[in-house]
Amino acid sequence: MRILLSALLLAAGIAQATAAEGKLVLYTSQPNTDAQQTADAFMAKHPGIAVEWVRDGTPKILAKLQAEIEAGQPQPDVLLIADVVTMEGLKAQGRLMAYPEADVSAYDAGLMDKDKTYFSTKLITTGIVYNTKAPFVPASWEDLTRPEAKDLVTMPSPLTSGAAMIHTVTLTGNLPEGWEFYRKLAENGALASGGNGDVLKAVSGGDKLFGMIVDYMPIREKAKGAPVEFVFPTEGVSAVTEPVAILSTARNVDAAKAFIDFILSEEGQKLAVSQGYIPALAAAGLPAGYPDRSAIRVLGYDAASALAGDAANKEKFTEVMGQ
Amino acid sequence: MDASSNAAVAAAPQRRGVASAGLAPGRLAACLGVVAAIAFLSLLPMGRLLLAAVAPGGAPDMAAFAGRIATPAAVRAMWHTLDSASCGALLAMLIGAPFALAVAMTDMPGRRPLGFMLLLPLMIAPQVTALAWLHLFGPSSALLQALGMAPPPGTPNPMLGRDGIILLYGVQHAPIVFVTLRVGLAGIPRDFVEAARAAGADTGRLLRTVILPLMRPYLLAAAALAFVSGVGNFGIPALLGLPVNYLTLPTLIYRQMSSFGPGVLPQMASLSVVIAALALAGVVVQAFASRAPARYGGGLPARLPLGRWRWPLATLAWAAIALMVVLPALALIATALVPAFGVRLTTATATLANFAEVLTRQAATMRAFRNSTLLSAGAAVILALGAVPLALALERFDARWRRGAQAALELPYAVPGITLAIACILLFLRPLPLVGSLYATAWIILVAYLMRFATFAARPVATAIRQIPRELDEAAASAGAGALRRMWTITAPLAAPASVAGALLVFMGAFNELTVSALLWSGGNETLGVILFSLEEAGLATHAAAIAVATIAAVVLILGLLDRLSGRLPPGVLLWR
Repeated sequence: MRILLSALLLAAGIAQATAAEGKLVLYTSQPNTDAQQTADAFMAKHPGIAVEWVRDGTPKILAKLQAEIEAGQPQPDVLLIADVVTMEGLKAQGRLMAYPEADVSAYDAGLMDKDKTYFSTKLITTGIVYNTKAPFVPASWEDLTRPEAKDLVTMPSPLTSGAAMIHTVTLTGNLPEGWEFYRKLAENGALASGGNGDVLKAVSGGDKLFGMIVDYMPIREKAKGAPVEFVFPTEGVSAVTEPVAILSTARNVDAAKAFIDFILSEEGQKLAVSQGYIPALAAAGLPAGYPDRSAIRVLGYDAASALAGDAANKEKFTEVMGQ
Repeated sequence: MDASSNAAVAAAPQRRGVASAGLAPGRLAACLGVVAAIAFLSLLPMGRLLLAAVAPGGAPDMAAFAGRIATPAAVRAMWHTLDSASCGALLAMLIGAPFALAVAMTDMPGRRPLGFMLLLPLMIAPQVTALAWLHLFGPSSALLQALGMAPPPGTPNPMLGRDGIILLYGVQHAPIVFVTLRVGLAGIPRDFVEAARAAGADTGRLLRTVILPLMRPYLLAAAALAFVSGVGNFGIPALLGLPVNYLTLPTLIYRQMSSFGPGVLPQMASLSVVIAALALAGVVVQAFASRAPARYGGGLPARLPLGRWRWPLATLAWAAIALMVVLPALALIATALVPAFGVRLTTATATLANFAEVLTRQAATMRAFRNSTLLSAGAAVILALGAVPLALALERFDARWRRGAQAALELPYAVPGITLAIACILLFLRPLPLVGSLYATAWIILVAYLMRFATFAARPVATAIRQIPRELDEAAASAGAGALRRMWTITAPLAAPASVAGALLVFMGAFNELTVSALLWSGGNETLGVILFSLEEAGLATHAAAIAVATIAAVVLILGLLDRLSGRLPPGVLLWR
């Protein structure tokens, strides 16, 4: 009887999975244009589902979600945000729904949550962007503290960007001088404010000539003719994996699962490549403008302490950068 | 439009009503209706805010309140707010006063279009103005690059930070000064000027010894209004201050809310009360100043012929307008036409792709156009319909109560928008009986708009109703028409043009606003202001510029509509007439 019941349930589940429909609410930290392209590609595949997306920096979209949870009205079905540390925090609060059936066989096991509550979708590194009119070509993080770069450096703030938070934790953990590096940057007149988009605007516009930034933005803008170049610094880069997850309060679970399936499918990964991202699925290839995967040196960080020390790190950053 | 036009509304000439007719049937119901409407639209949110700031736990705790507003970040933001708002008010006076003098008293050619052009910054959303000026200067200016005049790379954009904010407060609020002073100048009788001339005074002496003393209350009122508008402004310091960490109180509250969530509500409520107090201090000064204007008879308004300076001064005035209004708009259009920020605008690079992307492809921006239109139109219709019975009921109050009620309706507009937004979150975050939580729905934005813009609809309608001869109503009453029937057959048709004008003002105010919705939006309920700000923050400057250009086009369209209505409106409703 029990077997029959579960078989029936399974069958019903499969039937629903193939015919998922209705509204799917996505909260994401992807730039607006990418969010729209992702939604469009997904909807083309699932004509019955209408994706409604909301975009903001990871800390901000999380603050919005927290407010909604407090009002008893969490809106999103699916989250697609910058980093796994934030996801770990949500998972610990019981806010994420496991999706054990998700097919991650083609992926590097280290990229995925073992409980299948969230799934890495890309590899987004943070390196250095410079304006082509800059006085020198930076090769290392230390170059940003050179006197020729005085008052010309900008970086995203961990208060606005999830990638920037991981980046700060990674650099302070890996560079020999730790937080002292940021102190030297602050003394050199470096400005920390807003998200990666603000850095892109400032450097491509020429207000600033150097910046810390996620890789895809300058690589993509360069292709459109903007006067910028991206550098993978010699010490290595930090990286986030833009994980996707279903909320435990999701209203349209079937559509949410279909969305995860799509993002993790080869087609979804190829879409990320076409948008200029390094996909999580190695087999999907690389977009133009990137060196080979093996040439990119990714620095590690302690995720557990990053999660526990999140507020302290934000405070420390604010203090050091004089905000 | 934002806190700025609150000032303009407040500056519109007030008409004192005739003594109210004594007890009338239905008076009790009318009273209750008015009290309920005003309590809901004004006293409830303001009271809730004060409660959260001073007594979050139930019992008043001033020490905790003081602790929350004395953090280093809050003190710094308070200083920035005071500094930028007062310097901005001074600059607004320096820009607005000469224009008021030129338009109201001289024979400068093209006075009327000049006045209309100067009013434009007030009609355009502050975040759009800020964006336009941001793209006018700096190494990335598409306009300056096209002309080969852009500063070298590595030059910081001069608009970012304190000086840029002050400059834009000056430009954005100069129209308020202009409108307020023009009213005063138009009331100065020609006899005074002629008497001074006959006694041998030259123009400088005439201005100093006759005009200036007569204008003192208006000058004070204008400065106070410009100050209040600067204190509450969000769009300008958000786009020009946040990127360089120059925070004023409204942007500090926004950053706390957006980075830390509602856990910091008591802190934000306390800061909101501080901004509200700053703004209300300014409003009180303004009310006090305009309460006792010098009494002098009417007569023809004074005229100062400019003689041979007529054309040179007119050229100067138009040059100033070109610099303040036309150039930033061109810079915005130039940015909207390049494929990526930083690319030089040439005939080869120019593209309409940004417009196509935001107007036809991006679901969020199209949704924002729809949301802003629906929310603004909804608020406009509800308020325009409600204004007629409200004004009629208020007519039955005696003058003192009527003024009190109008002041209460103005309160949610006089306080900065961010304050009202915090009040709405406090009121509607917890689920209400029957309806549930309004937070994270479109309804909370609609309710906030109703609160904020009620005074826009109430004022013109009240003015129009007071001008309807009482005989009409009495004749209908003696013919046996009941109160409701008289309202729909006599008052409503006669007040209709004012009601429509009020609705259009509400629509424009809500369509342009960002302060309220910056904290209240949720997924699917974005407004245009929110989307513009979000695109700019995501680094999609060219898309943000395209939206800004589209909203300017919409506002110009509404202004055109209002202007066509002007013949049927009571004087004082349209600022530029």
